[in-house]
Amino acid sequence: MAKKSLRTNIFFFVVVALFLFAGSVCSHAEVRTSDLWWMPEVASKGGELIDKLTYFIYYLTGGVFVLTQVVYIYFLVKYRSRKGVRATYSHGNNRLELVWTAIPTAIFIGLWGYSNHLWWDVLHAQSPPDTMEIGVLAYQFGFSFQYPGADGKLGRSDVNLIGNDNPFGNDPKDPATKDNFQSGVLEIPVNRPVRVRLASRDVIHAFYVPQFRVYQDIVPGRTIDWVWFTPTKVGSFQLACNQLCGSGHYNMKAQIEVVTQENFDKWYKEKTAAANAPAGSAPAQSK
Amino acid sequence: MSQTLAHPEASEVESSHGHHTELSFFRKYIWSEDHKTIGLQYLFTSLFFLLVGGLLAMGVRYQLAFPGVPVPVIGGLLPSWLVTSAGAIQPGGYNALFTMHATVMVFLVIMPLLIGVFGNFLIPLKIGAPDMAFPFFNALSYWLFLFSGIILLSSFFAPTGFPASGWTSYAPLSAHAQYNGTQIGQSCWCVGLFVNGLASIAGAANYITTIINMRAPGMKMFRLPLPIWALFITAFLLLLAVPVLSAAAAMLFCDLNFGTSFFSASNYGQPLLWQHLFWFFGHPEVYIMILPAMGLVSEIVSVNSRKPIFGYKAMVFAMVAIGVLGFIVWGHHMFVSGMNLLLSATFSFSTMVIAVPSAIKTFNWMGTVWGGSIKYTTAMCFALAFVSMFVIGGLSGIYMAATPVDLFIHHTYFIVAHIHYVLFGGSLFGVFAAIYFWFPKMFGRMMNETWGKIHFALAFIFFNCTFFPMHNLGLNGMMRRIADPTQYEHLRSQQPVNVFITLSAFALGLSTIPFLVNFFYSIFKGPKAPINPWKSTTLEWTVPWPPPHGNFETTPTVYHGPYEYSVPGLEEDYLPQDQPAPETVRLTAH
Repeated sequence: MAKKSLRTNIFFFVVVALFLFAGSVCSHAEVRTSDLWWMPEVASKGGELIDKLTYFIYYLTGGVFVLTQVVYIYFLVKYRSRKGVRATYSHGNNRLELVWTAIPTAIFIGLWGYSNHLWWDVLHAQSPPDTMEIGVLAYQFGFSFQYPGADGKLGRSDVNLIGNDNPFGNDPKDPATKDNFQSGVLEIPVNRPVRVRLASRDVIHAFYVPQFRVYQDIVPGRTIDWVWFTPTKVGSFQLACNQLCGSGHYNMKAQIEVVTQENFDKWYKEKTAAANAPAGSAPAQSK
Repeated sequence: MSQTLAHPEASEVESSHGHHTELSFFRKYIWSEDHKTIGLQYLFTSLFFLLVGGLLAMGVRYQLAFPGVPVPVIGGLLPSWLVTSAGAIQPGGYNALFTMHATVMVFLVIMPLLIGVFGNFLIPLKIGAPDMAFPFFNALSYWLFLFSGIILLSSFFAPTGFPASGWTSYAPLSAHAQYNGTQIGQSCWCVGLFVNGLASIAGAANYITTIINMRAPGMKMFRLPLPIWALFITAFLLLLAVPVLSAAAAMLFCDLNFGTSFFSASNYGQPLLWQHLFWFFGHPEVYIMILPAMGLVSEIVSVNSRKPIFGYKAMVFAMVAIGVLGFIVWGHHMFVSGMNLLLSATFSFSTMVIAVPSAIKTFNWMGTVWGGSIKYTTAMCFALAFVSMFVIGGLSGIYMAATPVDLFIHHTYFIVAHIHYVLFGGSLFGVFAAIYFWFPKMFGRMMNETWGKIHFALAFIFFNCTFFPMHNLGLNGMMRRIADPTQYEHLRSQQPVNVFITLSAFALGLSTIPFLVNFFYSIFKGPKAPINPWKSTTLEWTVPWPPPHGNFETTPTVYHGPYEYSVPGLEEDYLPQDQPAPETVRLTAH
């Protein structure tokens, strides 16, 4: 008996020591200014709706987890092997089976209804008429962007036309493509819906902005034009490729600048002026 | 009907192979057609691959915590495709590490550990058969499996090294050498998986035939122990899903080497076709890797609770439901792949529905421990932990099943946490439980319980320290498969979490040492095991060790279901399947 308790003590000592080890690692972490354990601050309209659903699932699953584990651990302690106490002889209970089949089924189907509704609202719904369309080209290993010129239209493009002298595959027969200009930075005005026209030159890449709660694969050989979002916060963000695309994947990113409408107009005017300038004067690459 | 095959073969095997001296060393240990030897061959081989896969994971974790820092000690010895001249892991080498970590763990560790080891070892012993239906195929299956592992790992010595386009090998990255830069490695990946698929198909056909035809008299389908049911359903999944992967791998091989364009973006190829084929295999594969563990754990929980399994038939039907529904949920890996948005809605629905049978199983495990008399053996500890970890892995899956949330956490560390809770906290804990539990029948000796408990405590603690914070990293927007998180502004403040995870992962890796020492020491020096150390009811515990070639001296007769524990009116608290209940005792089920 004494031997056994000694063994138990050693066991607990080891466990505690391990936790202390783990804790000491934590305490060496630098002091955090932003949220360490949670989602980055949301910065788009659709993202706010998605966060509501995330929180709903969080509380639902958290509740289920705590409830089942409390019951489970209670059983594990209460029904540990004791001298003279025999286990209950039971092969189950059909009514219980029915209950714990029906309740999860109802919850899961309800959750599907909620989330599918939201999926439609956020992604599939018609974007408002003032939506600005921006072309996004992904390649090993970077992004570039194309803006509509003064006519406000990107014009027709076709992935089969993509080439070195026509990176976005613009259709030369469509006059709307003539005044388009390119940018290395994704500059967008705040509170204005933006639709991205996604194309890839080589392998599958992705358009991922965690603050906007947006992810979409960019598949070569086709154009994906259903992703739109409305940024709600002025600031700098990073667009990241989140689909393994080769050895440079880890560093495939682009800057996103969400600015006020005034600042955007100013930037836009500079860029269109540079684009319309006669050949020979280098187009400004900075924003 | 069921004994027609079993009887003559049993006597035949007994007479021709009864004397061990008749078998040459080669026939006994190398090309053995005895299901028990093949099971052990699978065990040793896949434990070796477990070490390989674990070391690759250590490399992955090292890079994420200390990007750009030369690997201490071994850095200078590693090949140039993996590390820079200074000995730090290169981004491309990092891609190779996680690609091979996942490929090895899925195809060379979890599948063979669950299906190869316990399928081979347990099926004939538990159904009262002398061997598998096709012993030759069984031996062939093992050697094909070993061969596939050698092919996969041999690319280490190629100048461009391991394949590096992820275990999912999405085309066109994987289909063109100018994009992935690892033509030899990627070709080895295709061939290795093709050969591995042959091994799985041969094994699966064998299991199905054996379970249908070779059950002992009285062993009705609803008297089969749950591990056998699980392996039976898994074998169907293998038979239907694996050929699709084999075909896709062959097509990818042609794209890569012969200029075909099945999956190219040009020449009428279709990159999404690869994803559909891969996930049509890949999602049933997820259940292939968890169903057998569920079966093994069900039995261990029942035996150690000294209680019949709660809702035996509900357990069986839940597994059948998982098996069937598993074939119509693959699209949930592709919500944001560019697939039609309407399809996402339907796949989201089937995914929500498939969560139901998993919930049913969890409730039934809880029902089994309720009112029990629980013995906390090491096997039981791992089995009970399996249930909790599976609950976490199941609940985190709901986030991804909700399409809008997937829009945010797709391809982040949240999914990495999810899959490891299911595959490590689930499948691998189930494997550990099963090894501790069936070790006495495999090697005739007992493993050390104290060291077993130490292994359990370390594995449990460091598993959670390693994988739980990954949920948080995922919610923070940390992408998976990036070699250097510090490149991103929103991730730089997360780096201490990555360091913590890495240190925990190293500790988790080291926690395997007590297991391995205990395992190999006990094989030779462990105390001799009695025939039925856990006082279990199923047939494998009626044969002595070593079970003779042919297993049973006389074919057993089965009188009732597999889990008759604590039957009122009996002195012993268990009633073996080959013993009829006395007339005074009434069994309530089966």
